[in-house]
Amino acid sequence: MGLVDSVELPQPIKFIFNWGRKYSLWVFNFGLACCAIEFIATSMARHDFIRLGVIPFAHGPRQADLLVVSGTLTDKMAPAVKRLYDEMPEPKYVISFGSCSNCGGPYWDSYSVTKGVDQIIPVDVYVPGCPPRPEALLHGIITLQERIGSESLKQRYAQDAPEPERQPIVVGA
Amino acid sequence: MDAAAIRDHLVAELADAVEPDISFGLLTATVAPAHYRRVAELVRHDRELACNFFDFLCGVDEEALGIGVVLHVYSTSHHHHVQVRSVVPREGGRLPTVHDLWAGADWHERETAELFGVTFDGHPNLAKLLLPEEFEGFPLRKEFALLAREAKPWPGAKEPGE
Repeated sequence: MGLVDSVELPQPIKFIFNWGRKYSLWVFNFGLACCAIEFIATSMARHDFIRLGVIPFAHGPRQADLLVVSGTLTDKMAPAVKRLYDEMPEPKYVISFGSCSNCGGPYWDSYSVTKGVDQIIPVDVYVPGCPPRPEALLHGIITLQERIGSESLKQRYAQDAPEPERQPIVVGA
Repeated sequence: MDAAAIRDHLVAELADAVEPDISFGLLTATVAPAHYRRVAELVRHDRELACNFFDFLCGVDEEALGIGVVLHVYSTSHHHHVQVRSVVPREGGRLPTVHDLWAGADWHERETAELFGVTFDGHPNLAKLLLPEEFEGFPLRKEFALLAREAKPWPGAKEPGE
């Protein structure tokens, strides 16, 4: 595709690239339930994730770097999430916010709820809670930023990406 | 009108086609599926009843009896509620649509059709509303097995309703 994924960049440039990417995460909020309210609270003045460089209200998935799935995902909605994820440009990251999108949560035995958004898209960071407090999302974002900061795009795009690099993180675990 | 007056009015109009029951001040008229449409039209158009506001239509799994369909309507001029209930067989249950009497019944009939397996004759588009297209079975029926429950039994002390 390009330079960053074909050549391992020298360390200073890689640092600057990653630094730039991790502090300008345009976030796309896939709000499906009450967790979306906590997400909105995190974006507002008190918790204010813009101070971490997370920019809310991306105009659409094509302008977004980070997808936050917050809420109960149903089997009917699942194709829409998959499609919006596919529309996002690489490199892209996913935070699964709340018990419902982690594993189905209180709807674990439902006939219509997808038991975890990770069944359809890869997840980078799981934030547990029902709903998690805004601090938990901030922790999840910082955790994701740490990962982006130490990331190698060449390794990310390689077919045989090393497992530990792509292991999902569970906040607080 | 209060519930007793509605009951007397319905019985005067429809004789033994209705089986009225009053509980908590609300009249429920149980009718055979063959009379369902006629009763719905009367409740909608009768000057005394004039139930012009659609509240809800839903299914109830009544196990051995069959699938109950409950239509709840309200009159904005007389300020009274009426419920019309009809029980259809579990297999191949059919009822005429009432979406032309109350437009709001359209989606409720679709929902009842997909969740309980009752067919509404005359409905213009009885496609699935809430469930994905490829979904099989009627999930709000008692016999519908939840896959997750098959793998892991309910961890609570009792089932709901036990």
